[in-house]
Amino acid sequence: MRLDIRYRTTFTYENLVRESQNELRACPRSDENQGLISYRLQTWPSSKVFAFTDYWGTRVDAFGIRLPHVSLEVVAESSVETFQRPLLTVAPHLETLRDPAFISAHHEYLQRSPHADWGRGIEAEARRQRELVGDDVVSLVLAVHRVTGARITYARGATEVGIEVEEVLSQGKGVCQDFAHLAVALCRSQGIPARYVSGYLFTRDDSVGADVTDGDVVEVQTHAWFEAAIPGFGWLALDPTNQKEVGVRHVKIGHGRDYDDVQPLRGIFCGSSSPTVEPRVEIRRVRTNASPVFDRHVRDPQMEHQQQQ
Amino acid sequence: MPPDRASATDANRASLFADYDLGGFFDEVFDADNHVRPHYAPLLAGLDRFTPEDLVRRARIRDAAFRSQGITFTVYDEGEGIERTFPMDLLPRIVPADEWQHIEDGLVQRVTALNSFLDDLYVGEGAAIHDGIIPIWLVETSDGFNREAFGIPVPLGARCLVAGVDLVRDGEGTYLVLEDNLRNPSGVSYVIENRVAMTRVLPTVFANQQIRSVDHYGRSLLNALNRVAPPASGDRPTVVVLTPGVFNSAYFEHVFLASQMGVELVEGRDLVVDDHVVSMRTTQGLQRVDVIYRRIDDAFLDPVVFRSDSTLGVPGLMAAARAGNVTIANAVGNGVADDKAVYAYVPELIRYYLGEEPILPNVDTYLLWDEDQRSEVLDRLDELVIKPVAEAGGYGIVIGPAASDAELEACRVNIEADPRNYIAQEVVSLSRHPSLVDDHLEGRHIDLRPFVLSGGDIEVIPGGLTRVAMQRGSLVVSSSQGGGSKDTWVLAKGAELVVDSDAETHDGTEPAADDVEELS
Repeated sequence: MRLDIRYRTTFTYENLVRESQNELRACPRSDENQGLISYRLQTWPSSKVFAFTDYWGTRVDAFGIRLPHVSLEVVAESSVETFQRPLLTVAPHLETLRDPAFISAHHEYLQRSPHADWGRGIEAEARRQRELVGDDVVSLVLAVHRVTGARITYARGATEVGIEVEEVLSQGKGVCQDFAHLAVALCRSQGIPARYVSGYLFTRDDSVGADVTDGDVVEVQTHAWFEAAIPGFGWLALDPTNQKEVGVRHVKIGHGRDYDDVQPLRGIFCGSSSPTVEPRVEIRRVRTNASPVFDRHVRDPQMEHQQQQ
Repeated sequence: MPPDRASATDANRASLFADYDLGGFFDEVFDADNHVRPHYAPLLAGLDRFTPEDLVRRARIRDAAFRSQGITFTVYDEGEGIERTFPMDLLPRIVPADEWQHIEDGLVQRVTALNSFLDDLYVGEGAAIHDGIIPIWLVETSDGFNREAFGIPVPLGARCLVAGVDLVRDGEGTYLVLEDNLRNPSGVSYVIENRVAMTRVLPTVFANQQIRSVDHYGRSLLNALNRVAPPASGDRPTVVVLTPGVFNSAYFEHVFLASQMGVELVEGRDLVVDDHVVSMRTTQGLQRVDVIYRRIDDAFLDPVVFRSDSTLGVPGLMAAARAGNVTIANAVGNGVADDKAVYAYVPELIRYYLGEEPILPNVDTYLLWDEDQRSEVLDRLDELVIKPVAEAGGYGIVIGPAASDAELEACRVNIEADPRNYIAQEVVSLSRHPSLVDDHLEGRHIDLRPFVLSGGDIEVIPGGLTRVAMQRGSLVVSSSQGGGSKDTWVLAKGAELVVDSDAETHDGTEPAADDVEELS
């Protein structure tokens, strides 16, 4: 599926601020499930963007505005083609998780991390699922995915970044990041490597993830889901918020241990006023043979030093 | 009474060394038969003219001099953080030229391998991991492995621009590496100031000695920093020293080093990043900065990337470094290589990167995630030294033979809860050196922190900080743990030949040293 994505965030300040420095992670990656066709970033006031690929393989755009300003607008436009994912054809035994080579290769995704730490509640829930489904990895991952959806109700604005996953579980409400973090923590507590994914979802309502039938443009926010490592297969991607497998309507920006590794926009500025933030993502489906809305080719991001007007 | 001391003609020495007991340790001054080691003979002869009262008086002069210079060290453990002087013992430590050559060769080798390892991890292919030299999970679980530094190049691969490698000598006098300090090793200011103080307080003991100087450290450091400047910065790069500020325990040293190099001492708020270029705010406007010798921990360096609550750092600094517009020294992320568990792999890393046998061996180290090693260690906890892997400065160390049952039990619980976080080492019977205690000399355990500069070529400053455990029997010699220090003399090649029996038979008829009034 060909999708054009327009990520836009506007910061508006009451008073002048200066020396703002930022890192944006909004560019879809290219991998076996999707191909990036074009990407372009602009900021107002204008800035010199320095782009690089980070440790996790995500493109980062670093930019700063030194002079005083009252608003900062960031617009990142991308065009991406998503592909059908391969069907899962394996059913490895839980024992395969103990293979030292498998553990070593996925070590980072087995550890606790600040937003995906677990306590007794999560561990008990994960064990209960394990007892229910038996001894194959895929069934356990799917059970984690289901129970995440069953235990949390989507509630916009229910939580702030930084909430403990245990608390999410006990209060039973959250947003997509919370769903992803809880699923990651449940998996890791059972020795299944799991990672947090930041991306975009082409849907009218990201709490249900329904296919878009009444038009080709939607307005959403950035989305989050999770991936679990299946021995003999690779990463299985699931979207627990809307209880679907990740497919052609999902566009991945990047992954990491948790939110902190792929935070879409982080920055700092000098000034006394706190900003009003307006994040908005517009996704347009491009029908076959139509020309892309945003036509601009991307060079190797690591080498790129592009001067934006 | 040992033969050497009994036969000494001078009664002062006899009284200084009265009751001096080797205690079964390797003593730097006396060999096992109580003979003075040849390289100490001129010094002891020079001391003959001093009565114990003279030395005590000179110790007071020394204290006054250090205090008026403001050379202090904050000890964090004592509640508030107490500023006190870092006392220099009046007896210098002497290293003969051939021993120093061995140390220098070993340090150059070790730091070369550590630079290679860090470059391999952060901008290379992780070859040492792929080739099974070091486990990937060990690297990934190191607190000092900063993924934020991944892909940031450092000119000449000089990541450990300043390394402080702590050495100890065991019961046989073999030099061993106790730990590597590759982040912000401090203490070099004492190396230089101790030398200055010694020449003022006891000038006559320098007679008949060819001691290699240490006062060029500032020039050598500046030279190394200039060499790692980004290529675009031209012939005369602008270097600054970045300090967290006056409340840091090593602030004195930051001021000292900036002045030795003749460069600006700045705090984070004095720097600003614009279009990924770092500049310093001056009264004439912004001035571009090419190299930052930072004495701020990684976590506080750039709030965009690291701790967002840090007000000590410079927002945008990491991107500027990544863009190649500024060099940060020491490089970000070096902590992975001085992690005490990674330390255990350094001999293998030397073999791997250099194809050489390590010149300076490690202390025998046990890795506690290994079940066999852990159970052996837990059985012998009261015989071993336990160290947290990421701490520096002697914090958190448990010395088995000296620990109470409760301390050992707490240690056992900690190890079992997080075995990756600790290592165990055999207790090294550290060498001792006579040190002035009240009005006489007693043996005290010492170590040595030489300073190694990377900037293309690797340079070892001939000398180093000899730290003294001032409490009797204590094996912890960190400056953070209330120890003292010694001026450390490295003798020039051929200097031993200059030293002849003249010194030993010195009759002490010269006037009793210099006039000390000029110090005040």
